[in-house]
Amino acid sequence: MLDTLQNLYVGFSVALSPTVLLYAVVGCVIGTLVGVLPGIGPLAGISLLLPASFGLDPTSAIVLLAGIYYGAMYGGSTTSILMRIPGEAASVMTCIDGYEMTRKGRAGPALAIAAVGSYIAGTVSVVGLMLLAPPLAAFALRFGPPEYTALLLLGLLVLAYMSGGSVLKSLAMAALGLLLGMIGIDTMTGFFRFHYGLVELGDGIGIVPVAVGLFGLSEILLTAGQEKPPEVIKPKLRDLLPSRAEWRDSAWPIARGTFLGFLIGIIPGSAHIISSFVSYAVERRVSKHPERFGHGAIEGVAGPESANNSATSGAFVPMLALGVPSGPIPAVMLAALMVHGMSPGPLLIQQQPALFWGFIASMYVGNVVLLILNLPLVGLFVNILRVPYPLLYPAILVFCVLGVYAVNGSVIDVWIMIVMGGLGYLLRKFDFETAPIVLGVVLAPMLEMSFRQSLAMSSGSYAIFVNRPIAATMLACGLALLLLGLVPFFARGVDWRRAFGLSPSSELEKEDHR
Amino acid sequence: MKRILISVLSICAIGFAVSQAGAQETFPNRPITVVAPFPPGGVADLTARPVAAAMEKILKNPVIVTNKTGAGGAVGMSFVANSKPDGYTLLMALSSISIIPEADKLFDRKPAYTMDQLVPLALISADPTILVVPTGSPSKSVKDFVADAKKRPGEISYSSSGVYGTLHMAMEMLSHAAGIKLKHIPYGGAGPAITAVLGGHQDTLASGPAAVVAHIKGGKLRPLAGWGAKRIAALPDLPTFKELGYDIEFYIWAGMFAPRGTPEPVLKRLRDSLRQTVQEAAFKDAMAKLDTPIAYLDAPEFQKFWDKDAKMLADAIKRIGKIEEKEQK
Repeated sequence: MLDTLQNLYVGFSVALSPTVLLYAVVGCVIGTLVGVLPGIGPLAGISLLLPASFGLDPTSAIVLLAGIYYGAMYGGSTTSILMRIPGEAASVMTCIDGYEMTRKGRAGPALAIAAVGSYIAGTVSVVGLMLLAPPLAAFALRFGPPEYTALLLLGLLVLAYMSGGSVLKSLAMAALGLLLGMIGIDTMTGFFRFHYGLVELGDGIGIVPVAVGLFGLSEILLTAGQEKPPEVIKPKLRDLLPSRAEWRDSAWPIARGTFLGFLIGIIPGSAHIISSFVSYAVERRVSKHPERFGHGAIEGVAGPESANNSATSGAFVPMLALGVPSGPIPAVMLAALMVHGMSPGPLLIQQQPALFWGFIASMYVGNVVLLILNLPLVGLFVNILRVPYPLLYPAILVFCVLGVYAVNGSVIDVWIMIVMGGLGYLLRKFDFETAPIVLGVVLAPMLEMSFRQSLAMSSGSYAIFVNRPIAATMLACGLALLLLGLVPFFARGVDWRRAFGLSPSSELEKEDHR
Repeated sequence: MKRILISVLSICAIGFAVSQAGAQETFPNRPITVVAPFPPGGVADLTARPVAAAMEKILKNPVIVTNKTGAGGAVGMSFVANSKPDGYTLLMALSSISIIPEADKLFDRKPAYTMDQLVPLALISADPTILVVPTGSPSKSVKDFVADAKKRPGEISYSSSGVYGTLHMAMEMLSHAAGIKLKHIPYGGAGPAITAVLGGHQDTLASGPAAVVAHIKGGKLRPLAGWGAKRIAALPDLPTFKELGYDIEFYIWAGMFAPRGTPEPVLKRLRDSLRQTVQEAAFKDAMAKLDTPIAYLDAPEFQKFWDKDAKMLADAIKRIGKIEEKEQK
C-alpha cells in the first residue's frame, strides 16, 4: 500500500508536469468533441489522432489518446440526451430516458447527472485499475471462447427485462438485430454472406450507422411527420441542476454502473457498449418503479453513463498489466506504445513505472478536467434546444451524414444509416423498440464467433460449455433467471412480468402514442 | 459548439479542396496519397507513416497516409487498383494482397481486384513469422511439437488472425511440410489470437516477432522456430525451420504499389524516392522501434519476390480449399 502511494506520488509528479497536463486537457477536449459529434466515436477519434501522437514522448502520447477515449464517453451522452442521437455507440441506452427527460424540460439535470456519474465512475474505476490490475488481468485471460459465449448468452437473457412494452416485440427486434449481424464474412470459413456484391458489406454492418439511423434519423422523421412542430423548450437557469430527488435517485445507479462497467470492461470485447446495456437492464430490474423507464427515468441515464466510463478504465487493465488488447481501442493504444519503441507486455509496469503511474495519475486529473469542462457546458448545450427545428434538424442531418461517413470513409455506411432511419421510423410508428436491434447487431458477431470457436475447440461437443467452470456458472445463472421468470407464468397463468413489477403501465403507454 | 462544428467542417472542406486541386506538369506537384488498407496501428499503417514522412522530404511534396479499411484490406487495395494511374495514389500493401484474389477465385466470387492491376514499386520490410507456445507447454522444440502432433492428429489447436489470413497460411505451410494435422481456430485479428494462446485457450500460433517478443522476454511464451531464411536479430538463438530440415519460408511483408499504367518517368521518380527513403536515419529509427527489419528490394527484384510469394500462397490456399463445417468433425 505504501508502495502504491509512493508510486502514485511519482505518477502525479509526471501527470501534473505542464506538458503532460496540457496533453491530458487537449485529449479531453478532443474526446468530448468526438463524443458530441454523431458517428465519430472514440475509435475513429483515436485512430485519426494516432499519427499526430507519434511526435510526442510516449507518456504524453498515451495520456492524449486515453483522454480522447474517456472524454468521448463523457461527450457521447450530450447528443443522446438532447437530440436522441447517440454520439457514440455506448450512448445508445442514454438516448431512451435521456431524451425523454429533455422532452419534459429536464435536459439540464440529465446532462449534469451524466457528467457527475461519469466523473465518479471514472475516478473510482481508476482506483480499481491501480490496485487490482495484475490479479484482475490474469482473471480476464481465463475468458476463452466458451466463457465468452456463456457471458453473451447471459447478456441476451437480460434483454427481456429491457423492454418497456411487449416482451415479444423486443425479442423480435433483438432477433432482427442478430440477423443483421449475420451479414458479412463468415469468420470461420471465409464465405461472404448476404453481401449482394458489395465489398463493403464483407465486414458486416457497422454499429454506428445502425445506431445513428435507428435513433437519430427516425426521431427527425417522426418529428417532421407531426402535425404541428414541437415547442421549442426554453431552458431556465434553475432547471439546469438536478433536484434533490434526482440526486437521490441517481446515487445507487451510479454506484452499480461503476462496479458493473469496470468488471465488464476487463473482459475483452466491445465492453463499453455492452456495459451500458447491462447497466440499464439492471437498473430497470432493481427499480421500485420500472414503469418509469423509457419515460424519462434519471436512473436510466445515471447507470449506463457511469458504466460506459468505468468500462474504459476496466479495458486498460489487461492492456497495461499484460500488454493484451481488450478491444479495438486499447489495440490502437498498444500500437502507439510500440511506435515509441516500448514493447507492451507483462513487464511494462516494472520497466516503465513512470509511464504506468503517470498514466494512472493523469486519469485522475483527466476526470477532474472533464467534470470542469462538462458542467459549465451543460448550460451551453441546453441552449442548442432554443434553435428552431427547421434550422436545427437539417443541421443535425448534415452532421449525422458527415459523422457516419467519416468513420470508414464509406458511402455504403451512409446508405445503411438512411435505410435504418426509414426502418426505425416505421418500427417506432408500430411501437417497436429499436434498442434491442442495436444490441443484437453488437452481440451477433461476437456470439457467433465465440460459439463456433468453442465448438471447433471441442470438435463439435457441446460439453465444453459445461466442463469449464466459469462458463458453466454463467450458464447456470442464465438458466436460473429464465426459470425464475417462468415460475409465476405456469403457477398463476398471469403475465409473469407483473411479479417483477415489470408490466408496462397502460396510462403511460397511451401517453407515449403519437 | 456551433463554432467548433463549423471549424471542423471547414477543415474537412480544405482537405477535400487540397486533394482535388493541382494541374499536371512536373511530377509531383500536388499531394500524394498512400493508402493503407488496414486501420491505424496495424503493420501497413505503421510502415506507411515513416515511409510517407521520408518521401515527403525527398520529393519536397506532401505525402499523406489515408486508411481505407474493410473486407480484410480488399476495399483499400481495389480502391488503388482502380484509381487513376498518375502516381498520386499509392498503396502500402501486405502479403495478403496475393491472398484475396486467390480466395475470391476459390469461392467463385467476382474479384475485388486482380494482382496485374498493380505494379510493385519497392519492398519495404519483411518479417518472418515465428512459432510460439505458452511456457507451460510440454513442447520444448519443434521436434517435440511435431512428435506430439503426430501422436494426436487434429488435437493441437492453433489460433490465427483469421481464416485465409497470413498467420493461417504460415501454419498451413508448416502442417504441410511436417505432415501433421492441426486444429485451426480463427480469431478476429492477430491481437486476440495472441491473447488466446497467452490465456491457454489455444496451444500455439505463428506470429510476427514484434508482437510477441515482449511476451517471450516476460516469460509467458516460448518460441520454437522461425519461418525466415535467416535467424531474426531479436531472437538470435531461435533456429529457423530451414535449419531444422523443413523447406518452408514465410514473411509478413510490406511493400509499395502503384496502379498499372502509371507513366514510366513517374514510376522511376517514385522508386528513386523509395530507395532514398530506406536509407534515411529517421526512417531506420522508426522501423527499429517497431522491431521490424527493413528489407528493401527495388521493383524488378520485388516483382520476383512477389511472384514467388504469391505462388506459394496460392498453393497453400488451394490445399486448404473451401472449409466445410462437416470436415471438422
